[in-house]
Amino acid sequence: MNLARLLLAFGLVGILGGCALGGPPAWEQEAPPIRTGPVVDETRLHRGELSNGLTLLVFEDARLPLVTAGLTFRRGAGIESRDEAGVAGFMAELLTRGAGERTALELAEVVDSLGATLEAGAGWDTTSVQVAGLSRDLDSLFGLLGDAVLRPRFEASEAEKVRGELLAALEKARDEPRELARRAFAKALYPDHRYGLPQSGTPEVVAALGPDDAAAFHRRVFTPGNAILFAAGSAGYAEIEERAEAVFGAWEAGPIPEPAPAPPALAPAERRIVVVDRPDLGQAQIVIGHEGIGRTDPERLAAGLMVRVLGSSGFTSRLMGRVRAQEGLTYSIYAYLSMRRHPGPFGVSTFTRVAEVGRVVEIVLEELARMRDEPMTDAELDAVRRLSAGGFVLGLETSADVTGALVDLAAYGLPPDSLDTFRSRVSEIDLEQVTEAARRVLHPDRAAVVVVGPAEVLRPQLEPHGPVEVIQP
Amino acid sequence: MRRATRLAIVFLVACTVCGSANAESYDDPAARTRLTEFENGLRVLTLVDRTSPIVSFQSWVDVGSGDEGRFTGLAHLFEHMMFRGTENVPGDLRDRLLRERGSRGNAFTSNDFTVYFEDVSAEHLPLVIELEADRLANLIISPEVLDTERQVVLEERRFRTEDNPQGRLVEALLALSFVAHPYRRPTVGWMSDVEQVQVEQCVEFFDEYYVPGNIVVSIAGDFDEEATLGLLRRHLGRLPAAPKPARNPTLEPPQQGERRAQAHASVRGPLLGAAWHAPASGHADAEPLDLLSAILSAGFSSRLNRRLVYEEQEALYAYGGYWELKRAGLFYAAAGVRPGHSIERVEALIYEEIARLANEPPTPAELDRAKRQLEVALVSGLGTNHALASRNAEELLTFGRIRSLDERLQAFAAVTAEDVSRVARTYLTPEGRSVVHVVPAPEETP
Repeated sequence: MNLARLLLAFGLVGILGGCALGGPPAWEQEAPPIRTGPVVDETRLHRGELSNGLTLLVFEDARLPLVTAGLTFRRGAGIESRDEAGVAGFMAELLTRGAGERTALELAEVVDSLGATLEAGAGWDTTSVQVAGLSRDLDSLFGLLGDAVLRPRFEASEAEKVRGELLAALEKARDEPRELARRAFAKALYPDHRYGLPQSGTPEVVAALGPDDAAAFHRRVFTPGNAILFAAGSAGYAEIEERAEAVFGAWEAGPIPEPAPAPPALAPAERRIVVVDRPDLGQAQIVIGHEGIGRTDPERLAAGLMVRVLGSSGFTSRLMGRVRAQEGLTYSIYAYLSMRRHPGPFGVSTFTRVAEVGRVVEIVLEELARMRDEPMTDAELDAVRRLSAGGFVLGLETSADVTGALVDLAAYGLPPDSLDTFRSRVSEIDLEQVTEAARRVLHPDRAAVVVVGPAEVLRPQLEPHGPVEVIQP
Repeated sequence: MRRATRLAIVFLVACTVCGSANAESYDDPAARTRLTEFENGLRVLTLVDRTSPIVSFQSWVDVGSGDEGRFTGLAHLFEHMMFRGTENVPGDLRDRLLRERGSRGNAFTSNDFTVYFEDVSAEHLPLVIELEADRLANLIISPEVLDTERQVVLEERRFRTEDNPQGRLVEALLALSFVAHPYRRPTVGWMSDVEQVQVEQCVEFFDEYYVPGNIVVSIAGDFDEEATLGLLRRHLGRLPAAPKPARNPTLEPPQQGERRAQAHASVRGPLLGAAWHAPASGHADAEPLDLLSAILSAGFSSRLNRRLVYEEQEALYAYGGYWELKRAGLFYAAAGVRPGHSIERVEALIYEEIARLANEPPTPAELDRAKRQLEVALVSGLGTNHALASRNAEELLTFGRIRSLDERLQAFAAVTAEDVSRVARTYLTPEGRSVVHVVPAPEETP
């Protein structure tokens, strides 16, 4: 056998081997069409309402003998005035520091002895209290939930402790360059609105908070008509309804607080460049952006897809491709829309070695302009629709995921079937809609540029983009 | 000539009858896990669970920073290179193909392992498998891409360590605790090593560690087990067998006295870390040490939180725990000191709480509470396909088998209050500890 025949023979083996593997490699095959249709198993989902207006939402999941239950109220830190910034979080923290017949430590010992968790917290638009533990402890868990929601003690000694903790945490947060960047960015966008202050409040306000402030916020927000009671896990609807009725049935209805006024439409109205001076840093934190859109904005899906292509689709986003994969200027860069009741920020967040800050800012502003001025390609749109629709079920794997998403819809008054329709709505977004969303949402000409790092080195790099304000951390 | 592939199929975890009166018996999904070993040594763990229509696909490579030789950070830098393209699937095509199918993937490197994962809808599993086989067979390591990725990793290091007080604390504490063992090296590597490593070292590293016998593929979720094993056999079963890699031989000698260090950072709230040598994974004292961790740190009423954060208001957080690795372990305590408060006082309070447990066993109620907390944590850890696949792979690589939930709960149930005191006395000694303070430089008051 000569060499050519030998090679041919091997080649044939290779080809036959290839055939045996079932045709061309999977990566040469077209992606199947986007799957649409319902994602929430209706047979496991139950909704109801108590006579006092409390909404019930129960998703059964027998996979594990666990249950999570809680209440979400449709108001949070967003309704605080700037003079009250921090009271929602302060109140929420105090809910677990003594309730019903138990002091803070007694309550904690009961929770811990069940291996359970009892948590409360305030976001911009909601305040939530939640318990989680073994489903065989359902009665005890509901008892703890009822105490925290209906019978918090708001004792002066606990208020003093919590105040001290929050103040120390606010102070400590200033050690984190990323947190400094976030704060300076919010302040640059919303100098006179609540959104311009940290969600957890300001030291000036928190230092003056007392138990009466917590009790007043509690009265204002914690009413049954303003709440959604949710449960997820190994418990049937009847079991939950019975306990909800027993614990929350006699709770008296009250008025629902008004939402807060919206921030200015343009934030900022013109370019601002702010450097938070940290001479010790070798790597600068950068946030670039301006106002975004609200949670119920009719164009949120198109805007969301556009932002994904820009900087929120993992390694395939334009920003990640250029700043990380091509130029090695960062480890992480992403774009986001903070969708709240009113438009929260749109931002691009990243970091780089201080010598490269000017370059990174330039690239980000260029990419914002490119997304705004040149339409996305069909291929980009197709890919991001697939990413968004295809990955959707991954975020709904557990019953707690499904319940969380349904509660969020209810909190913002969005259609209750939004999860089931999401994939078909996404697959219908067209090029015109994303192009329009880019024009409407992105404003590189007036974007705020906030950098945390050594001002002396950063100033000359940033001055080409506008006047630079330097502030202390 | 093709030889028939030999499959070794073993059902890993027999459902054990629960013998303990006070522990509940759970339906442990791991009991349905199947281990298949291909002729080339690659092991596959499959666990079918149809609760949700998604699958977690994970490749666990039995190599971490603890295996590195001359260049620190190589395991992690190499992890980055695995995403940079092959001859068949160049550039970022792999990533684009997966994202277009909604897959959520990433990778991480630890002291012991390098782990790659894709969580994806079941119908896309064949693509994930073929892409994995392709990059294990045809990875390109070009000097140009290596140079870009090295810059990315240097940025990662600045982000996680250089400009991150918490990162500095961990790095300093490991370097202080281990004088000999390779666990003293930071997983991300030292700057100088990452700056200088070349293609040649990457290729050597790949050839030595990325061999079938050193890889476990773990899949959990809603998929056709037979068809998937067939695909895996065709694509990954063909990788050439190679010898198992050698391991660094160094063991940590006994510590002969307390070690202390400072790391300076611009912080208002100083950070404290302390560590003691503890056994590697698989030691009989692991459960008492886990319970000691829970008593010190789990929940609001745990001893460190109660004393340092709640009662004395000296710290913003305080916790401790048993950190078990394959070849050594540490027990650590960490605290964030309140701005304006004394780090020395925080350190003294932590030692007081440890001494209290060493001298006097925890109360029965406290021990029961800790056992319940560990039980709920174990059960909660079975909630996603990703968690199930991770648990299976990590258990197999660490213990050579998957310990059942019942086995673990019974081991916790058997621990006595005196066991908890004993491990505190045995391991958490003053002369065996290493302590790091992250504080502002003397001339600096932020």
